[in-house]
Amino acid sequence: MSEDKDRVDGYRQQSGKLPFSRPGSGGSRKMSEPRDEDTLASIRGGGGHKHDDLVTGSAVGRPTALIDGRWKVTGQAQYGDDVRLSGELIGRIVRSKHHYARVLSIDVSAAIELPGVVAVATGQDASGRFGVLPVTKDEHAMAQEKVRHVGDLIACVAATDEATAREAVRLVEVEYEELEAVHDMRQGLEDSDEPIHDRGKYHIGASNVQKRVFQEFGDIEGMSTNAVVSHNSNWLFAGANHGFTEPHAVVANWDPSGRLTLYTPQQVPHYVHRALADVLDIPMHQINVHRTFVGGGFGGKSDPFPHEMCAAILSRKTGRPVRINFDREEVFWVNRGRHPSRIEMNLHADSEGRLCGIETDALIDGGAFASFGHVTTYYNGVLHTAPYEIGAFHYTGARVWTNKPASGAMRGHGAVNSRCAVEVGMDDLAEQLSVDPIALRLANLLPPHSATITGFRVTSIGMRECLERVREASGWDDKFRKLPDGHGIGIGCGFFISGSGLPIHWEPNKFPHATVHLKIDMDGGVTVHTGAAEIGQGSDTVIAQSVAEVLGLPLDMIRIRSRETDTSPVDLGSYSSRVTFMNANAAISAAMGIRQELLEAAAALTEAPVERLVIGDRRIYRKDDPAVGVSYLEALHKAQEDKGALVSSGAYRTPPMGRVHKGAGAGIAPAYSFSAYVAEVKVDIETGQTKVLKVWAAHDCGKALNPLAVKGQIIGSCHMGLGQVLSEEMKYSRNGHLINPDLLDYKIPTIHEMPEIVPIIVESNDSEGPFGAKEAGEGPLLPILPAVCNAVYDAVGIRTSELPITPDRVHRMIEARCKQEGVAPLDLSSPELHHSELQGVLEARASEHASRDAARASDPSPSDYNNGALFGFDPEIPADEQDERWVVSVTPGSDYMESPRLAGSAWKHTERRHRGDS
Amino acid sequence: MRMPPFELHTPNSLDEALSLAGDLQQSNQDFDWVAGGTDLLPNYKWHLNAKPHVISLAGVPELSELSETHIGAMVRLQDLADSEVVHPLVAKASSMVASVMIRRSGTVGGNICLDTRCFWFNQSEEWRESIEWCYKCDCGTGADCRVIPNQNTQCVATYQADLAPVLMCLGATIHLAGPSQSRSMPLTEFFELDGITRNALAPGELVTHLTLPDDVSEWRGDYQKLRQRESWDFPEAGVAVLWKSGSDGSPSDLRVATTGLESIPGFHSAEAIAALAGWSGGSSVDELAEAVRKAVKPVLNTWYPPSYRRKMVKVLTKRASSGLLEV
Repeated sequence: MSEDKDRVDGYRQQSGKLPFSRPGSGGSRKMSEPRDEDTLASIRGGGGHKHDDLVTGSAVGRPTALIDGRWKVTGQAQYGDDVRLSGELIGRIVRSKHHYARVLSIDVSAAIELPGVVAVATGQDASGRFGVLPVTKDEHAMAQEKVRHVGDLIACVAATDEATAREAVRLVEVEYEELEAVHDMRQGLEDSDEPIHDRGKYHIGASNVQKRVFQEFGDIEGMSTNAVVSHNSNWLFAGANHGFTEPHAVVANWDPSGRLTLYTPQQVPHYVHRALADVLDIPMHQINVHRTFVGGGFGGKSDPFPHEMCAAILSRKTGRPVRINFDREEVFWVNRGRHPSRIEMNLHADSEGRLCGIETDALIDGGAFASFGHVTTYYNGVLHTAPYEIGAFHYTGARVWTNKPASGAMRGHGAVNSRCAVEVGMDDLAEQLSVDPIALRLANLLPPHSATITGFRVTSIGMRECLERVREASGWDDKFRKLPDGHGIGIGCGFFISGSGLPIHWEPNKFPHATVHLKIDMDGGVTVHTGAAEIGQGSDTVIAQSVAEVLGLPLDMIRIRSRETDTSPVDLGSYSSRVTFMNANAAISAAMGIRQELLEAAAALTEAPVERLVIGDRRIYRKDDPAVGVSYLEALHKAQEDKGALVSSGAYRTPPMGRVHKGAGAGIAPAYSFSAYVAEVKVDIETGQTKVLKVWAAHDCGKALNPLAVKGQIIGSCHMGLGQVLSEEMKYSRNGHLINPDLLDYKIPTIHEMPEIVPIIVESNDSEGPFGAKEAGEGPLLPILPAVCNAVYDAVGIRTSELPITPDRVHRMIEARCKQEGVAPLDLSSPELHHSELQGVLEARASEHASRDAARASDPSPSDYNNGALFGFDPEIPADEQDERWVVSVTPGSDYMESPRLAGSAWKHTERRHRGDS
Repeated sequence: MRMPPFELHTPNSLDEALSLAGDLQQSNQDFDWVAGGTDLLPNYKWHLNAKPHVISLAGVPELSELSETHIGAMVRLQDLADSEVVHPLVAKASSMVASVMIRRSGTVGGNICLDTRCFWFNQSEEWRESIEWCYKCDCGTGADCRVIPNQNTQCVATYQADLAPVLMCLGATIHLAGPSQSRSMPLTEFFELDGITRNALAPGELVTHLTLPDDVSEWRGDYQKLRQRESWDFPEAGVAVLWKSGSDGSPSDLRVATTGLESIPGFHSAEAIAALAGWSGGSSVDELAEAVRKAVKPVLNTWYPPSYRRKMVKVLTKRASSGLLEV
C-alpha cells in the first residue's frame, strides 16, 4: 500500500467530512537524504539523563509565567473567601478563654434563641478523632472534655449573617474548671497531674512528652577525644507563624444528592478528605474536597483543621452551605508554625579539619496538638547529617505538648532551627581553627551518590558548586574579615529533602506517591488530572510544562484540573517539597503513555519505525529525515480511531531506600537539595539594629524546569527566613498569652527590610528527578538564617544563640562584649582572620575532592560511597560494619541517662505499656 | 473583625459639627470624633471603648488650612510630609508615621490625639476577655491594670505618635473648639499624664488646628525614631532635639521632647536648660542624653523591652543632637 504518499489511511477524504482540516506535512523522501543517527546522539552530549530522550524543547527550562497568574492579577481567582453559594450561612467559632481547662458545661440556649441563628454545634455533634499523622490523632472538631489553649474550639454557630453569628458566639455560656497550664517547654518534660493528652498505653510516663528520639551513629566515644576544637552553644528559637496572606476560609455544602463538598484553601486535600470521613462518620466517596485558590500555605494549610470539620457539621445540621472565615487572630490560634525550640549544638573538629562529631539536643515546643510533630522531632536531628561527612552523630530530640497554639510544619520543616545552629557552629569551628569557613566546608562535603552516616541515600549534590558560586559572586575573599567595623559578611548552607520518602498513610509499595491522569480528545488539548495542590508555588505550571515537554506541545494546549478530589487521582498534596519531583515524574510517565500511542499512530501513517520517530513542535517526524512526518493532530486522530479520546495514567513511587533502625524512614527522600548563601549586613553598634544589605543565594535544584519560579522561591525564601532571623516571633506574656496575634506586632519584614537578592541557580541534574529536577520550595530558606548570624559576627564579633536577633538582643550582647573587653561600643573591633597551616591542608583536600566529585557526578554507575571514608574507612562498606567503635543505636544506654541533656531527659520516663502498672 | 454598630454623623461645617456634639452631649449620648479613622476604626473593630455615635470631620472644610505657622487638624499626614511650606522637621516627622497609605488617610489632629497603646489593650474582644480585661477597657468589671498590677489609679498605656515632640519643641499652640467655647494652650500643656484621660480635651471638644510662633524658621534640629521596621511601626521611642544657633555656633536655645515612652509625650525643659547653661559641645550632648534617659520611664507594653527603649533614648538624643556638634 505504500507507494502513494498522499493517501492517509483511516478515514475517507471527503470534502466537509473531515473532523478537522487536514493538517501538516506527509513528508517525502525526495526532500532529503537520511542522516546518521549516531551523529545526532552525540550532538546531544554524553552522560545524560533518563528523560533526555523526552526533551522536545517545548517548555522545560524556560522562564515561564505561572499559568494561573492571569486569574490572580485580574482578580478572578477564587480564594476560600470568594466562594459564594446561594443561601449560605455564616459560621463562627466559640473559643476557649483559658489555657487549659475542663469544659464542665456549655449552655447554647441563649444563642439558639437569637433571631437569625440557625444552628449551634458542640463536641457532642462529632466525637471522631483526627490528626494529620495516623499515629498521633489527637484532635477533635470541638472540645470533647478539655480545652488545651486559649483559642481552642468549644462550639460553633451558624447564622444568617456575620454580625448575628458573632453575637451568638457571645451568648454561648461555658463553664470551665481551670487546670494547671504548661507554658515552658522544659516543664513539659516533667510528670504532670493532668497531662495535656492521654495516649493510653503509649503515653510516656505521666509527662507531656509527645515524641522522643535518640540516635547515635559513628564514633561517639572518639568525637571529643579526637577533637582539637569544639563549638558549644545553647540556642533559643522563638516560634514563628507562616504569615500567609490569606487567612483560613472554608465553605461546606451538602448537595441534593447527599454528598458533601468542602471548598477550602488546602495544601493537602487528601488528608482533609480522610479526616472528614473519620469525623463525620461517612464514607470518603461521599465527600468532594474542592481546593480553592490558595493564598499562601508554607505548611500552614497542610493539616486537616477543626474549623473545616465545623463547617461540615453545621452544614449537615442546617442543610445549607456554611462559610467560616478567619480573622488574623484565629490564624494564630490554629498556627502550626515553626516550633519554639531549645537546641544544644556541639560540633567537634579534629586536627585535619574534619568534623569528627555533631551532637544535637533539641527540645521543641509542640503546643497543644501533635500535628506533624512526630516527623519534626526527627527532622531536627537527621536533616543535618549532610552535606558534611561526619565522624559521629549524636541526636536527642523531644517534642512536648504545652498549652499554646499547636506548632506544625512550616517551610523548611524541622530543619531550619538546627541547621542554623550547625552552620553558626561551622563558622565558629573555622574561627577557632583559623581557616576560612568556606574552605572548611569545601573540604568536608559528601560526594555525589553517597550515603550519610544515618544511611540516607543522596544522589546528586550541587553543594560544592553552590559554595563556589556564592564565594565568587559575593567577592567573599575580598570581604570576609576585611569589611569595616559594623559591616560583615557571612556564609550558611542548607540541605533539604526533595519529597518525603515514605507516604504517611501507606507503605510505598502499596500505592504510589503520586498519580497523574491525562486525557486528549479531538481538539488536541491535553487535560491533566492531578491532586498536586497549586498553592502559589507553580505546581500546575510545572506539571503542564512536563506534559508539554514530552508531547512537544505549547503550554497553552495543556489544561490542568487539580482542584477536586472527585476528579483528581489521590495525591499527597503540596508539602515536604514533593510536587516537582513526584508529580512531574508521574506526569512525565503519563505523557509517555500518550506519546507512545502518538508515535505508533505516526508510524502507521508514515511507515517509519516507531523508534525512529521523534516529537517536535506539534509534529512527529523521522529523526533521521525530519521531512518525513505527520502533524500532531493527524497522529492524534489516527490514534483515536478505535477508542476515541486517549487516556493514560502515570505514577511515581520512591525506590527502596534507607537503613532499618527505628526511625530510619524519617528524612529519607528520593533526592536532596543543597544551597549556600552569603549575606552582607550592617549592624548599628549603638542600637543593635541589623540591616541586611545584599544576599547571594545559590540553590541546587537539580534542573530548573521553570527558572522564573525557582528564582521566585529563592527570593521568597529569603524574605521568610529574614523574618525569622530578624524580627518574627510569637511572643508570649508572663502568663502565657500570645501577645501579638496580628500583623502589626508579628513583625514580618516589609519591602524596606528586603535586601537585594541575587539568586543563583545550580543544576546538578538529578538522575531520578523529572528532567533532572529537585525541590526549590523549602531548602532555599535554610541558609539565610545562619548566613545573617555569621555576618553579624563578622560585623561586631558577637555570636548569637537566640532568634530573632532583634536589636534589643543584639544590643545586649554588644554591651556584654563591651563590658568584657572594657571598651565603648564604637571602639569594638571586629574579628580578624590569619590563616593557620590547616588552611592549606583544607584547600588541597577540597581541590582533590572537587575532582572526585566531578568524576562521580558524571559516572553512570558510581561505586558505593558511605560516610566515613574521609576518616579512612573503605567507602564501599558502611563504617559501622568495619569498626566496632562506630555504633548504630537508637535507645539511650544507662551511661547516657546518668547525665542526659535537656531533651534527652525525656528518656527518663517509661512508656506506660512498659511500666507494668497499667 | 466587625465594628459594633454606631450612628455616623457627617456635618458640613465646624458649627454644624459642634452643634451636633452639643446635642449629643445634652442627651447624654457618648460619641467619638473621627478624622482619618486609621486609629479609631481599628480600635472599634477590636471593640475598644466604641461609642454609639461617631461624628465625621471629613466634610468640615475649615480644618484643612496649611501654612508655615498654621496646621489644620484635618491636614493629611502625607500632605504635611510633602509640604514645602511647613518646617522641614514637621514634614520629616510626619513622613515617618506608619505607611504611605495610612498617612494619606490619617490626619494631624488624629495623630496628636492618638489613643494610647498597650499590648494588653490593643487586642480583640475575645483576647481581652481571656485576660479578664484591663483597666483601660474594663467593660464594667473594674479590672486591674495588666502592666503594673494592683494600681488602678493610672493607666500606663503608651503614647506612640510622632508629631508631638517636634511640634512641642517648635513652641506650637493647640486650638480647641467645643459646643460652648473655644480655647488655646501651649501644646506642652495639652497632654495629661494618664493613658485614659490623655489630654485636656473636654467632652465634646475637638482640636481645630495648631499654630506655630513666628520664629519657627529659626529652629534647627532633628527627630529620631526607634522602631523595628521602617514602615508601619509605631515609635518605640522618639526624640526631637531642636535648637537656635547663637553667633558663636553654640546653641542659644535648646529644646528636647520625647514620645513613645510614657502615656504622654515628654517635654524635657529642665534637662535642656541644664545642658544649655554650661554648654561645652560633645560632653554637654552626652550629659543631655543621659539626663533625658533618666527622665523617661517606659513600661513593658510595647514591642521592645523598656530597658532597651530607655537606653536607646540616650542614643537617639545624641543622634538628634549631632547637628549641634557640626561647626
